[in-house]
Amino acid sequence: MAAVQGGLVDAKDEIDIKTEPTADGFGNNNASDSRVLSTPPGSSAAAGNNKPAAGTPEEQQTLLAVLQFLKKNKLSESAEILRREAGLPEDALDPKGTDGTGAGPGAAAGSADTDAGDASSLLSRVTVSSSAGAQAPTKAAGEDQPDVSVVLSAYSQQGDPALYEVYYSGLKRFIESVLDCHRAELSQVFYPLFVHMYLELVYNNHESEAKAFFEKFSGDQECYYEEDLRILSSLTKKEHMRGNETLLDFRTSKFVLRISRDSYQLLKRHLQERQNNQIWNIIQEHLYIDIFDGMPRSKSQIDAMSGSLAGEARREANKAKVYYGLLKEPEIELPLDDEDEEAENEEGKPKKKKPKKDSIGNKSKKQDPNAPAQTRIPLPELKDSDKLDKIMYLKEATKKIRLGSDNLPSICFYTFLNAYQGLTAVDFTDDSSLIAGGFADSTVRVWSVTPKKLRKVKTAADLNLIDKESDDVLERIMDEKTASESKVLYGHSGPVYGISFSPDRNYLLSSSEDATIRLWSLQTFTCLVGYKGHNYPVWDTQFSPHGYYFISGGHDRVARLWATDHYQPLRIFAGHLADVTCTRFHPNSNYVVTGSSDRTIRLWDVLTGNCVRIFTGHKGPIHALAFSPNGKFLASGATDGRVLLWDIGHGLMVSELKGHTDTVYSLRFSRDGEILASGSMDNTVRLWDAMKAFDDLETDDFTAATGHIHLQDNSQELLLGTYMSKSTPVVHLHFTRRNLLLAAGAYNP
Amino acid sequence: MSAPKTIPKDAQVMIQILKDMGVTEYEPRVINQMLEFTYRYVTTIIEDAKIYATHAKKSNVDADDIKLAIQCRMDQSFTSPPPRDFLLEIARQKNQTPLPLIKPYTGPRLPPDRYCLTAPNYRLKSIQKKVAPSAGRISVPRLSVGAVSSRPTTPTLGTPSVQSVSTKVGAPVSLTGQRFTVQIPPPSQTATTKTKTDDSGQIYFFSIFTNNPLCLFLFVSTATPSTPAVPNVLINPSLIGSKNILITTNMVSQNAGGESLKRKHEDDDDYDAL
Repeated sequence: MAAVQGGLVDAKDEIDIKTEPTADGFGNNNASDSRVLSTPPGSSAAAGNNKPAAGTPEEQQTLLAVLQFLKKNKLSESAEILRREAGLPEDALDPKGTDGTGAGPGAAAGSADTDAGDASSLLSRVTVSSSAGAQAPTKAAGEDQPDVSVVLSAYSQQGDPALYEVYYSGLKRFIESVLDCHRAELSQVFYPLFVHMYLELVYNNHESEAKAFFEKFSGDQECYYEEDLRILSSLTKKEHMRGNETLLDFRTSKFVLRISRDSYQLLKRHLQERQNNQIWNIIQEHLYIDIFDGMPRSKSQIDAMSGSLAGEARREANKAKVYYGLLKEPEIELPLDDEDEEAENEEGKPKKKKPKKDSIGNKSKKQDPNAPAQTRIPLPELKDSDKLDKIMYLKEATKKIRLGSDNLPSICFYTFLNAYQGLTAVDFTDDSSLIAGGFADSTVRVWSVTPKKLRKVKTAADLNLIDKESDDVLERIMDEKTASESKVLYGHSGPVYGISFSPDRNYLLSSSEDATIRLWSLQTFTCLVGYKGHNYPVWDTQFSPHGYYFISGGHDRVARLWATDHYQPLRIFAGHLADVTCTRFHPNSNYVVTGSSDRTIRLWDVLTGNCVRIFTGHKGPIHALAFSPNGKFLASGATDGRVLLWDIGHGLMVSELKGHTDTVYSLRFSRDGEILASGSMDNTVRLWDAMKAFDDLETDDFTAATGHIHLQDNSQELLLGTYMSKSTPVVHLHFTRRNLLLAAGAYNP
Repeated sequence: MSAPKTIPKDAQVMIQILKDMGVTEYEPRVINQMLEFTYRYVTTIIEDAKIYATHAKKSNVDADDIKLAIQCRMDQSFTSPPPRDFLLEIARQKNQTPLPLIKPYTGPRLPPDRYCLTAPNYRLKSIQKKVAPSAGRISVPRLSVGAVSSRPTTPTLGTPSVQSVSTKVGAPVSLTGQRFTVQIPPPSQTATTKTKTDDSGQIYFFSIFTNNPLCLFLFVSTATPSTPAVPNVLINPSLIGSKNILITTNMVSQNAGGESLKRKHEDDDDYDAL
């Protein structure tokens, strides 16, 4: 409706629309078009009243309305021309029936035939709305004129501001009176309705009414909307809204609710039997009601899924097929003795090609049907150094400790001292040999965790002098003189919020508030590239597990996929309503998950850029995301202190881990996925039994038709241990290849 | 909270505002920062409004001027991210192109050189020195190190070369870099006169960086040249797009001898001197 405010609306459009057959009143399922004019109040009330299908009398009314409007604004020439062309008689311009235009237009239009009395009484109570010009409220006139004002009111707000409170209270009373099973579902309507009505009042400059409305009803809303309500309370004028992108998006996008058919029927019947179609109109315009057949959900179920800025996710948003399996590892035989390493490499290469041929077409046990094809997205091929790395990895993996609920990992905590609350990002290399910290003073520091010092490549002068033919040339090019435990990287001009090592340990990425992402070389410890694209702070960045690609997410509400050799992003993932605060790659590099301040988590396909899953349920901005090593599950942590587990394939919440009392900043699965570790601002690391949480999953029957989830309240059973640190919030967690848990944080006395 | 009578009224107002907005825990410096910001913002707006009022030939500043000032300032500094439909549109366009194939075995995968920060950002001036040694002044290459405007750089010295090297590398960035030239004052030596054409000297540099790249200080000192040895300029090699590290020689040919070594300001026309 915002678009309709205060201007000369194109009358022609109105006419065209009105001549369309009135859409079914259950317009939510098909009223997907966002054209404001497409839901003229007149046609929406079709269900309630036997309104004649739009024909000439309607057109006549519209023309009359327009004519009156023109006259009112002293556009006499245009009025004259219109009158002549439309062939309207002179006396039709009688401004007799200028009713208050704020009436519920649907009610009035529909009731023109039958309930004229009601309509007129309603109309007479209503005062003028601002945008339709100064029209004196008069008693309802004869039958020919009421529709004029009704039509005009299509261009104005819905109803009288003073009556909003009445409508809302009426709805509240109704919902309190329904059966228990329906009440929980229908209560979902309160919050979006409240926000939209409030914003409508503010947008139309009814400041005092807006304030009164807010004071009266804001206390009734759910506790998890408190933050939003506080922001809303500071918005009292139209100008305030203009700068707030998030709220503007909220106004234009549809809030999604999932309601069972029975509850929905109840609501609809109630709203249409009375004349206060205000609420009905607002619901139709701003809410998308996803109706499902089945049992109404309970309060706890609804609470678990709600909390996001735009309601829940539509069911079809979570229906696309997601290839969550892992890519096939290239077959490199683990050498039994070390000397055969080189020989194995040779065999490793042609062997890699074989599995590809096998997997085409036949469903042998080698090909996982849920795994993407090897060539779905182009990935860099393995270099020799990568193969050596992989062999090291496999060797270490054999020495891995098997964790479980009875065998908890040891935790080694790396505390940053003297950081003065400036530590903003931490990352470990996969083999846990290096640790990097991003700081609020815009530096990036790299430390060596092992006794081996950090070495730079020698200067050109010295490189000239070395013997290039010697066997250990790769050692000789390193400069021993400047070897040190740590190195500092300067270059950013703002706090460094995201940091990520490349899998081959050659590069380090850092993203900062200065809107750039920098690629640093870990061989020369200098900056190589600055990637510019976000124009606003970049909150997080991560390299792909296969290297070469990386993602970043920032304040501009998009996440971008880059490749190290392109100066512009390859993919832009747009869809979130607020900042993207956390970005992670799936282990198979084909999908990217982003968590945002709008309290939703979205899973994106790298190949197409489409959003394939939307997960709602958190009640605060999401700060931590972690995939399980088998790629099937996702864990997420937010400022509400809860850790939620999601099944990616089905798109459903698996369980909810309660326990932390402050923001969860880091999550990590152990190497085999048995344990989930979570670190939080409340200075604790908690270990959860992931194996058990996902075990129950296998037996459940997820029809996913209704999206019902029965969350057991078994957080206590799943919690394996809580480990406190001495006032050091846990910023990062990392499992070594042998399943030792490393944690990092800055001491904060 | 300390006794109200010691806190100025503005600070009290700010405390109240923070309380109303739900901010309960904050360091005491926050009040000062907020007040500073408020004062600066309001002053800027009112000054702008005054300009608009005089432009409209009004004697007093009225609400319309203020509104206009606020609006202009909003569009300039407090921009907000693009609207959602715009983002969806550009995302749709960007996501239509298929992912580019990866060329095998091309060494470090970096964008084209002009988008990287790997090029040298200085050039060496070659100073033609006369053979006749007069006061035994040793000339020293002047290193102009500039943070090339509009690009964040680290002053890695790349390959020095005598001819001028283009230093305008990198896509423009919204940083306002500053370029400056560091000129090394030639040390007046009373050492032995030199007749060689080579110069010797070790140039060390420390870089002290502050948070802000606008202040980039480079401190260069020269050691006492002792023998006409091979000049040795310590530099960091730069990886320029190839797997091999670019190994260059670092002959800096200089001429000893003094009087030609005047500060040639006119040579630095193309760089702004700080």
